Amino acid sequence: MKALPPCLRSASSRHGLVQNHALQRRQQLPIATAVLCSTHSKSGRRSFSVLNRPPPNYPGHVPLTGLERAALAVGSGIVSFLDPYRGDMIAALGEATASPYFIERLRRAMLASPTGRRILRDRPRITSSSLNLPRLRSLPARTVGGTYVAWLDREGVSPDTRSSVRFIDDEECAYVMQRYRESHDFYHALTGLPIVREGEVALKAFEFANTLLPMTGLSMLAVATLRPAERRRFFAVYAPWAVRNGLRGDEVINVYWEEEMETDVDALRRRLGIERPPDLREIRKREREERRRVKEGAAAQAVAS
Amino acid sequence: MGSIVLSGRQLQRPLSSLCRSCSRRLLPRLSRSYAAVSSQQPDIYDVVCVGGGPAGLSLLTALRSNPTTAGLRVALVEAQDLEKVRSWKLPPDRFSNRCSSLTPASAQFLDNVGAWAHLHRDRVQPYHEMQVWDGVTDARIEFEWTPPAAGKTIAYMTENLNLTSGLLRRIDELGGVTVFNSARVAGISFGEETEDLDLREWPVVHLASGQRLAARLLVGADGANSPVRAFAGIESRGWDYERHGVVATLELEGEGWGGDAMKIAYQRFLPTGPVAMLPLPGNLSTLVWSTTPANAALLKSLSPKDFVALVNAAFRLRPVDLEYMHTISSGQEEELAWRLQHTQFNRRAIPQTVVGVQDGTIASFPLKMRHADTYIGERVALVGDAAHSIHPLAGQGLNQGQGDVESLARTIEFSVSHGQDLGTRMSLESYNSERYGPNHVLLGVCDKLHKIYSAGSGPLVPLRSLGLSAINALGPVKSFFMEQAAGNGIKLF
Amino acid sequence: MPPRIKPALLRQLRYLHLPSSPSPVRCTSSFPSRSFSATTASASASASHSSPNSTSPNSTFTTVSPDEVSHFNALASSWWDPQGPSRILHLMNPLRHDFIRSCRSSVLDVPPPPSNNLKYLDIGCGGGIFAESAARLPTTASVTAIDPSPEVLSVAKAHAKRDPALRSKLTYLNTPIENLPVPSTPQDGYDIVSIFEVIEHVPYPADFLDRCAPFVKPGGWLVLSTIARTWLSWVTTNLVAEDLLRIVPKGTHDWRKYINEEEMKTYFLQKRAQWTEPRCMGVVYVPGLGWKEVPGSEKVGNYFFAVRKVPDTA
Repeated sequence: MKALPPCLRSASSRHGLVQNHALQRRQQLPIATAVLCSTHSKSGRRSFSVLNRPPPNYPGHVPLTGLERAALAVGSGIVSFLDPYRGDMIAALGEATASPYFIERLRRAMLASPTGRRILRDRPRITSSSLNLPRLRSLPARTVGGTYVAWLDREGVSPDTRSSVRFIDDEECAYVMQRYRESHDFYHALTGLPIVREGEVALKAFEFANTLLPMTGLSMLAVATLRPAERRRFFAVYAPWAVRNGLRGDEVINVYWEEEMETDVDALRRRLGIERPPDLREIRKREREERRRVKEGAAAQAVAS
Repeated sequence: MGSIVLSGRQLQRPLSSLCRSCSRRLLPRLSRSYAAVSSQQPDIYDVVCVGGGPAGLSLLTALRSNPTTAGLRVALVEAQDLEKVRSWKLPPDRFSNRCSSLTPASAQFLDNVGAWAHLHRDRVQPYHEMQVWDGVTDARIEFEWTPPAAGKTIAYMTENLNLTSGLLRRIDELGGVTVFNSARVAGISFGEETEDLDLREWPVVHLASGQRLAARLLVGADGANSPVRAFAGIESRGWDYERHGVVATLELEGEGWGGDAMKIAYQRFLPTGPVAMLPLPGNLSTLVWSTTPANAALLKSLSPKDFVALVNAAFRLRPVDLEYMHTISSGQEEELAWRLQHTQFNRRAIPQTVVGVQDGTIASFPLKMRHADTYIGERVALVGDAAHSIHPLAGQGLNQGQGDVESLARTIEFSVSHGQDLGTRMSLESYNSERYGPNHVLLGVCDKLHKIYSAGSGPLVPLRSLGLSAINALGPVKSFFMEQAAGNGIKLF
Repeated sequence: MPPRIKPALLRQLRYLHLPSSPSPVRCTSSFPSRSFSATTASASASASHSSPNSTSPNSTFTTVSPDEVSHFNALASSWWDPQGPSRILHLMNPLRHDFIRSCRSSVLDVPPPPSNNLKYLDIGCGGGIFAESAARLPTTASVTAIDPSPEVLSVAKAHAKRDPALRSKLTYLNTPIENLPVPSTPQDGYDIVSIFEVIEHVPYPADFLDRCAPFVKPGGWLVLSTIARTWLSWVTTNLVAEDLLRIVPKGTHDWRKYINEEEMKTYFLQKRAQWTEPRCMGVVYVPGLGWKEVPGSEKVGNYFFAVRKVPDTA
């Protein structure tokens, strides 16, 4: 029997080179599409242009072309670097750089865990209305809820300051990003790291090691904007802590925070395999006092002399 | 246990046979001189085939249907009751779970020996296209013939029992095979030397019934734990995959996307092993799922609806979902319903939805790779699983056995037509040299494929996808693989 | 040219296993020779060459030299070893049957001669490689195989005992052709008289063939194999092996005894009556592939030759 060259179905149809007769072609198209669809949300990007934007996959979704996505990443990255308090820009940077691979990885991490799967199924949202903050204030200080609300009160922030996900194409992945973003404040509570720049950088380092989301890694560039003493402290204390705990600890995205409010926070840390870092706020306070004392001492000396 | 003579023709065999005349003439003399030593003298055969599976039955059919070798005195020793095989019958909508993919080359051979017509053809399903993809990356390769040969059969799915019962009917029709049915082999030894006959190099098969069969050529078609191979002192080497093949007969929502005229075989490589769905007539398909022993145990313990859900999941969901669904003892159906909402795939590129599984068809067997050091010894030849066991991912196990049988039958024919002693190693050399290399290559390829696709992550994953996509894009390479799969190009090796 | 490769191997075999008596042909070289016959001839040849002096017409051939006896004792164990020195000879055997079959089927007689119940006479049968295979063929009625060496013949007999299929068809006789009774009537002759790898060791081939001729039945075939005598075979078997490399005792090989195909034709068709339809097939041993028919190679190397005795014009 002679060798008959099988047709190059997927490859040729992708480039519009199909030369087979019409009947053959009709059969081929669905399979060609399957190949294109294969990496999940890619199909959305390939098949449209700026002039022909497809309908959103979920409320608030903004489908982007690859070029737009890259532009968004660069632009939001620059702004975030210059002004780390531009939460919206950090959020956009996170979304632009997370898909397709990194947000997939995070979703996979959730799907691999029974609790993560439950979160994906229930899709709980963390807002001031969903959390019942007064009840949390009544919880003992050592509980997760107590620590969280104390942290909120101390830092003067609200769970409602998180912007909605817009640039991630897959609807479930968009929720994963949303969940990550809304859980962020719990990470502060879990680690006790303050929202001052130094604390944010340390937490981002921890998140990067734990979630591998590129935005968290990029955020660490902000280490360049720290004062020399802070930077030294970061590399000596917080970076090693972040890498060690981020990699070793369980995926923090899989914590069903809403169910853990009454859990002892040390017990939760133990369960997740995370050690509490040295209290940055305490250190900073001590240092400030030290400086003041030195300054006062110097002034007293100056007066004395 | 007496021998069942399949046909009265045995008594009227032509004088031209090699050894039958002498054997009969010798017997009285032997019994005179050795009456004290053993109560019964060995019956002398040209070919004694141990094992009445597809390979053994095909060999006997080939020998009996060829005028050159039809004069040989042949015997079949089978431990199971062949009556059950011969009378095998299932309703048209019920299918056995042990199916094989027969390449056109194997089907041609079966046709040449007159057995193909004896299969229940309405239970044989040709397929014309293959869809193979990587469960981790979704890289895909589609096998189908180009327009001049479009619709050409890639392979035929058939129940093993359909094949063996068809072969038995063909043997019945040909006659002349002495069948020792439900006969246990108690041992194999060498013959003795008498005044005028030296059978010290002839294997003698001792049956539990006390009968002894001296064989000019002893064929081991007796499976992976071949006693014949052990007798010949031939080592069989390899390893266990620590995987089980789970089989089942599945009911689908329809006849397949291509309808009855264009059936498609599907295989998805999962990190635990490949899962394949191969078309049977109508809306039935057969499942071959290579997976870990623990997963196999779970699959067998599930309720039918959860089993069906897990099978549907295997062709649709991400490996991470599958992994999770193997950790729960029930609820797969619900889990699948949820995950389907969040998983994108092209419905027409995967098998139609499974809606049911036939009762009692879920079973599993351990997967192994084995290759005998050689297929031949002095007056011994091994065929089929006795010579090699292969990972089922390419569906080549049975076809390798058919290739062995075709080659061995041709080798025996050459010996007979040139007056060679068909049992000597010298006469069998061409069988070994013809089959060992190609089988070895195929065993190696399937073994490597298994190993490459067992990785769920790491540098191998993008590489293998690149490889699969490259093959898919390269016409000549793909056609080479297709020819290999169809059993046409195997001699290239 | 393929024939060059093969004989070198053959030669080595012969070398290892042939008697050290001066008469047997022997050659060794890393070059081609067409001495193949010798190797295989070995035992069979012994009939004629072991005591060339005695083969003069009408003399009775009875003795075998003691040297040869010890040699054949050594050879006996390896004769049937498929991996032993006789391997190439074993490999050639199927071709002999193909050649005989093609000769017999080339005849245009009406009605065609019977193809069953054939009687064979194998002269110089050695260990019985050809004789056993001929006896196994379903078309064979009987095979008479003769060899003058009792040692070799005992090997042949012992081996035949291993196959019950041979008992009724195969008869070994320890005798030279001179002592075998000539058939009383031509029709009692043999359908096939085979003389494989013998003739090149016979000092008086014409006399020898004259002895063999009466055993062929009218319409039957005399089939033989040997090597052509050409400059190539002289260079390899005599000049290189014996004079230059001195790996073979001087005088071992008598290149002049080699017989060319044309000489065979001349002998049978011009110098003798009763013979017709000569057939020839040149064969070449290709390592790894075995023996192959190569048209034209009969001019330079091993070849089969057959000639048919004129049938009775009944």
